[in-house]
Amino acid sequence: MTQIWAVARQMVAEGIRMKIALVFLGLMGMVVLGLPFSISGDSSVTGAVQSFMSYGLSATGVLLGMLTIFMSRSLSDELVNRHVYLVLTKPIPRWQFLMGKWIGMMALNAAFLAFSGLAIWGMVHYIKRTHPPIDEHFDMRELDDQVLVARHPTKVTVPDFGKLAEQEFERNREQGVYVNVPDFKPGQEMARLRNKYEARWRLVPPYDSRTFEFKKILCDRSPDKYIQLRYKTEVIRYPTDEIFRSVWRFGNPYKGTPLYESPTRHVVGRYHTIPIRADAVAPDHTLTVQFYNYNPFEGETQAYNIIEFRAPDGPEVLFVVGSFEWNLIRTLILMLCKLTFLAAVALLMTTVFSFPVACLASFTIYVLSGSRSFITEAFDYISDDRAGMFSSLNEFVIQSIAYVYNMIHWVLPSFSRYDAVETFVNGRNVSLVWVLQALSELVLLKTTIIIGLAILLFHRREVAETSI
Amino acid sequence: MPGRTQPVVRTAGLCKTFRDFWRRPRAEAVKDLDLEVKPGEVFGLLGPNGSGKTTTIKMLLGLLYPTRGRISVFDKPPTDVSVKGRIGFLPEESYLYRFLVAHETLDFYGRLFRLPARVRKERGDRLLDMVGLRHEAKRRVGEYSKGMARRIGLAQALINDPEFLILDEPTSGLDPVGARQIKDVIRELGKKGKTILLSSHVLSDVEDVCDRVTILYGGQQRAAGDIGELLRKRDVTQITTPALSEETVEKLREMIQRLEQKDIIGVSHPRQRLEEFFLRIVEEARAAHIRTSGATSGGEIPDFLKKPTEATTEEVVESLVSATTRRVEPASLPPTEPPEDKTAAGREVLEALLGGQSKEVETADEQQVPAPKPPPMPEAAHPPVQADSSVIDSLLKSGDDQADEDSEGSS
Repeated sequence: MTQIWAVARQMVAEGIRMKIALVFLGLMGMVVLGLPFSISGDSSVTGAVQSFMSYGLSATGVLLGMLTIFMSRSLSDELVNRHVYLVLTKPIPRWQFLMGKWIGMMALNAAFLAFSGLAIWGMVHYIKRTHPPIDEHFDMRELDDQVLVARHPTKVTVPDFGKLAEQEFERNREQGVYVNVPDFKPGQEMARLRNKYEARWRLVPPYDSRTFEFKKILCDRSPDKYIQLRYKTEVIRYPTDEIFRSVWRFGNPYKGTPLYESPTRHVVGRYHTIPIRADAVAPDHTLTVQFYNYNPFEGETQAYNIIEFRAPDGPEVLFVVGSFEWNLIRTLILMLCKLTFLAAVALLMTTVFSFPVACLASFTIYVLSGSRSFITEAFDYISDDRAGMFSSLNEFVIQSIAYVYNMIHWVLPSFSRYDAVETFVNGRNVSLVWVLQALSELVLLKTTIIIGLAILLFHRREVAETSI
Repeated sequence: MPGRTQPVVRTAGLCKTFRDFWRRPRAEAVKDLDLEVKPGEVFGLLGPNGSGKTTTIKMLLGLLYPTRGRISVFDKPPTDVSVKGRIGFLPEESYLYRFLVAHETLDFYGRLFRLPARVRKERGDRLLDMVGLRHEAKRRVGEYSKGMARRIGLAQALINDPEFLILDEPTSGLDPVGARQIKDVIRELGKKGKTILLSSHVLSDVEDVCDRVTILYGGQQRAAGDIGELLRKRDVTQITTPALSEETVEKLREMIQRLEQKDIIGVSHPRQRLEEFFLRIVEEARAAHIRTSGATSGGEIPDFLKKPTEATTEEVVESLVSATTRRVEPASLPPTEPPEDKTAAGREVLEALLGGQSKEVETADEQQVPAPKPPPMPEAAHPPVQADSSVIDSLLKSGDDQADEDSEGSS
């Protein structure tokens, strides 16, 4: 380890004294410390803090990604300027030399992430203290309850409509509805019927109600504690004042909980959060929520309307499981996991290519990993549309690229899968399980593979080779 | 581990071919090279540019792999990490990190040898003293002149007190003071039993310090052997004395004609070498304390480098077992008497010719130039070594000391 640390220390010294790292540190400082003075969000404190955290963390991620790629220049320099002639003639195995380089890069990344984290934490509190609130009580409470926390979300439990779908399917088949349907697939038809019943369940007609059940609400059930219901509604006919009035009830007396009622006026098409007393949660950690589609406010008119809770925006219950600070740390760890993989890729590329080529290749992989889900969707779309396959050169090229991409697909991680910035900014918990998944996939599996490959190639390489 | 009599370096049929981007052979840098460097000798690798010297060195260091042939260093492949711990290397240019200061540079390379912090510090200071850069230790290496960087390069090559030192063009870029100093270091280390491989095309450097040389041309060995033997002109005898009068010269001429029936080829006053003259001027300037931002006069060679190369217990046993049949290198024995001076034989001849004047000659010579290295004695001239318990004790003690130092290093 002495030798690995020696190389790592030398790498850090190089980063600092050759000013590459300092330039990036300066840029990060400008972005993180300068942003609060140039953005305002939606004029609320919450909006300002969320915008700052979102831009600040994203910029940190991009800058450190670029720093990691540029720092791999160190190995390239060692080879081009022949520093390796002195290092590799000392009793240090080549794998230790590469590991030292990688650890050096990661040490710089970790230090810069820590700097960024501290700066973001400090600036959040600065904004909170200095930003003029729209409504002092409401604005600050919203910030503390919905942003500067780590909340665990629980989606509503959708009833099983399989039996109803099956009954209708049998009925239709007996009536010969599917006889003349070309290329009929029973599985697809069953899925369609299930979706139809669920879509109906998500609609609440006027003067009707809907009961939502939430499970595994593992919160503190003390009466002085609060959990939150978050939802967004859509309507069939848009109200002229954009406001929709309704009633929510929380709790289930049959399970021994108090019943709370909350009349609400909410803007249609926007997310709303209602605080719920935690003792509405039953001892079996379930919560019953009822929605009533009627206007409880006397003197205020409201047209009959059908309310819809769409699937991705369906109601969810959030309860606090951790602090803002720990959430920030876990978000930074996820970013570090991605940088770990990127550092390994950059190192692999510099063991094979000269710096400009290695830099370009690493940057390409960085972009591909960052947009993998988008690219995969795009290629899937192209692959599905096979009607005109190879009918033109253009399609042939696209299919070839898709084929190559699919081949390297398994080793490229999806960075967006481990992008916790949005989760963190919305005050949601960046779970330990998520962090462990990132550590397993990005660090233990894929970084190990890439570093192993780099070591193999570097071990076989004649470092003093001259190509004539 | 090879014994003291086994070659430190051995190559057989060594070939290296450089290829182009498409892997087509383009240049044969080394062809069928058979080389042996014995322990304790200063071996010169000579040749013009592109003769394969540096390529051979790179293969010895595991930086290049042979295309064909075999190569071993301390009886192991050059890529073996344990071998590298016993080697010091000064490349043809100083490939040092420009952003580290001199002291950090030596500390970094010391860490790669797993030297304990105390040893790194101590050796770093001593080596900076030796190369005359102690006062510039806080400057970045990137700010150094080429000569200063070469000096740091030499210091890093010695940080591990190597058994085998590879010096590629060691005096390139150095001023005469530095070049002289490096030659002094090589001589001193050679005397202490270190094995040194010196590659150079500065022939005077090689002539000054090497015991044996190989001359390469076009990647092939063209000549090899003991440097004294290779350069000796057997058909000419040279006698050097203080200035003689015309009368004495005439008497000598007559005497030589009478005894040998030969005439004197030439009589002249030898010139001082420019190197000696230059060094004297610089010494005078230093004595006058004239300031310089460059390297100062180097200090003493550190004690840790003066220590004779120690044999391991295994080597001692081997040498004792084969004591009656095998030559034991002087370096593996405790120092007994000073080495025989090459000039002694010349002095005896002069004494026979000129009587009492020889004493003055000896004094004058020693003041101006260091005594040349004695030529290696033929095998038969060495008496068989007897098993002596005091020798065993002293060597085993040395081995123990080394083991102590090693364990300290690994801790």
